[in-house]
Amino acid sequence: MKLSFSAADEAFRVEVAQWLQDNLTGEFEHIRFRGGPGDEHVFVEERKRWEQRLAEGGWTCIAWPEAFGGKQATIEQQVIFNEEYARAGGPGRVGHIGETLMGPTLIEFGTPEQQAKYLPGIRAGREYWCQGYSEPGAGSDLGNVKTRAVFDEATQQWRINGQKVWTSLAHESHYCFVVARTDPNQVGHKGLGFFMVAMDQLGVTIRPIEQLTGTAEFNEVFFDDAVCAADDILGAPGQGWAVAMALLGYERGVSTLGQQMLFQNELDEIIRVAKTNGTSQDPSIRQRIAEAHMGLKTMRYNSMRMLSGAEGSQLNREAMIYKLYWSSWHRNLGKLAMDVMGEQAEILEAAPYELNRLQSMFLFTRADTIYGGTNQIQRNLIAERALGLPREPRGQS
Amino acid sequence: MDFTFNEEQYFFQQTLKDFLTDNVTPASIRRRWDSDDGFDQDAWRSLCELGTSATQIPEDCGGLGLRFDDIIMMIQACGQAALPEPLVEHSFIAAPLLAQLHASQPSERVADILAAMASGEAMVLTASMINPYVNFAHSATHVLLQFGDDLHLIDSKDCTLTHVTSVDRSRRLAEVKCQPNGTTCLTNGRLGSELWQATLNRGALANAAQLLGLAETLVQMAVKHASDREQFGKPVGVNQAVKHLLADCAVKIEFAKPVVYRAAYTLAVAPNRADWAVSHAKVSATEAAQLAARHCIQVFGAMGYTWECDVHIWAKRVWALANEWGDVGFHKNRIHEWLVQPKALLGPEFTFGRRNIRDVEHID
Repeated sequence: MKLSFSAADEAFRVEVAQWLQDNLTGEFEHIRFRGGPGDEHVFVEERKRWEQRLAEGGWTCIAWPEAFGGKQATIEQQVIFNEEYARAGGPGRVGHIGETLMGPTLIEFGTPEQQAKYLPGIRAGREYWCQGYSEPGAGSDLGNVKTRAVFDEATQQWRINGQKVWTSLAHESHYCFVVARTDPNQVGHKGLGFFMVAMDQLGVTIRPIEQLTGTAEFNEVFFDDAVCAADDILGAPGQGWAVAMALLGYERGVSTLGQQMLFQNELDEIIRVAKTNGTSQDPSIRQRIAEAHMGLKTMRYNSMRMLSGAEGSQLNREAMIYKLYWSSWHRNLGKLAMDVMGEQAEILEAAPYELNRLQSMFLFTRADTIYGGTNQIQRNLIAERALGLPREPRGQS
Repeated sequence: MDFTFNEEQYFFQQTLKDFLTDNVTPASIRRRWDSDDGFDQDAWRSLCELGTSATQIPEDCGGLGLRFDDIIMMIQACGQAALPEPLVEHSFIAAPLLAQLHASQPSERVADILAAMASGEAMVLTASMINPYVNFAHSATHVLLQFGDDLHLIDSKDCTLTHVTSVDRSRRLAEVKCQPNGTTCLTNGRLGSELWQATLNRGALANAAQLLGLAETLVQMAVKHASDREQFGKPVGVNQAVKHLLADCAVKIEFAKPVVYRAAYTLAVAPNRADWAVSHAKVSATEAAQLAARHCIQVFGAMGYTWECDVHIWAKRVWALANEWGDVGFHKNRIHEWLVQPKALLGPEFTFGRRNIRDVEHID
């Protein structure tokens, strides 16, 4: 056990911090601290330019192997980059789905041709991806996807029909990775394929979903005879589930440490408000601030421990419970923020519906305990997979 | 940055765990409940022969000179087994207190007692002012008594014990009264104050690690029961209402672990700046263990409420250890007093990276 960074890592930290300080200015100054969760709809054009600036500096896809344009950064370096990025107020990454989810999955499962076709655009910060998993009838029950993919022998293309939902940044994305059924005679995890589909085509329609925050980060995406090339399927037909799950394994990586830095910024804001309006003298508020602070530290230690023991994309016990922990913690933070604000919590910044940062955070935390697997589903997984309790019989689908 | 234990550390833990699994069973614990002194001499001798009593004692006094993060999982193992004998109090609280004294103020007297502790010839327990009672005082050969900043080493023959009964039958508590004087005093003043401060932290962290172990066993028992016990033609653990109780415990336990291990590391490398980390550990582990005790009894249903069912061996230890070496309120106070003070080092600058290890997790 050694809980400090090496001199080389500290030097890397200085390098990252310096680059960010030099570059996150001028045309990018006003997008600092913007575009994060709950705020993804703002300054999209500036944030795209920022992706390209990062790419020029060599700061996109640092975890990727050098052969694909990455730095093959160590876990420590990735941690440091994410921390410094959040510390500097680096804007929400338009390219994060491509960089952290699609890229590693392509590197693991893709053919050299597929890698050559898609990876450079992600690395350059020019091509963005969105995720086509959930459907109106397939939320927690992802195996129930109804979207169909049929191979058209005449055109030698896959033809895709169906509907996806809760698709973040769909309207800004060039590609969507779509889980679709290739074998209509199979159900559940079998007979699925994993497709890479261009968004800019007649067969794709995007409709924004307005959320209770008044903003629209999610979309519905309709595929009506949308097409992709014969080799735009990742893995073989029937392997879609394995690829889709492997991709999710990458979701719980070092990016969580950047997320924790955002949480820290929010907690600091709450403490600032509490000191200003005097609620910091209230013993019950003080206790809750202390609890929030402890929870955040706990998450950091746990991530470090998780990452020290990480092997490949294997989902270990700590990783499995992380979602439930942080989403519950963040939900409580939202409540704490509203209690600290007191009667001002109700009053919006401006008409028609402009929320301040804490109000926006509070409302967004309502989604935290739902997306990426609800808290209830997480508890089922922990009980069945980590503790080994008997599985619940599945219904007929 | 490395948050993992090495092979040697796992080996120490496993050796102790194997011994405890074979020798400290619920049946043997219940036998202790029926005896006068509650103490199993054979078990104690074997534990000392395993070297557990020597781990925190310096090599020049016949010990192994290990760090606190080397042995933290051994303490956890004591909790897993709900070990009644005061191995933690003797080996992991009293011994490092004397070892720390010996490091700054070497003396023959302290070297001798440390050597006797290592071999198991002496059993030394600590009477800190934060705890009203001493566990197994009647079995000790010596007591380390806190009197203000003074540290006294007192022969147990010179102590008067007033016994009280614990909710946990495995614990044998007594109030210790004695007359400290110039000859019993080992040190005082600033060094004494530092030693007692560090001892409070070791005691609190040792309890945190035991609570973690207790919680783990409670959840294991509940999982086994929920998988075996059938109602309405299926194991009760199939039901989400039961599953979720235990999933919540698993989350609390897994997330308390790195906090406890981290505090052990801080105690090893910067013992005088470990307050924050230790308080965090005590709070996290206590909350995890209390939830595990509550949910485990619930999952066992009416059986969990009986004397015959073994669950209460562990649950009652949780309730007892939760309040020793500072309860949750005490430790939360140490944290939030620091957090909202005007000069608190708050913000990502201090929580993450750069200044994290060196400067933050202590309360100045």
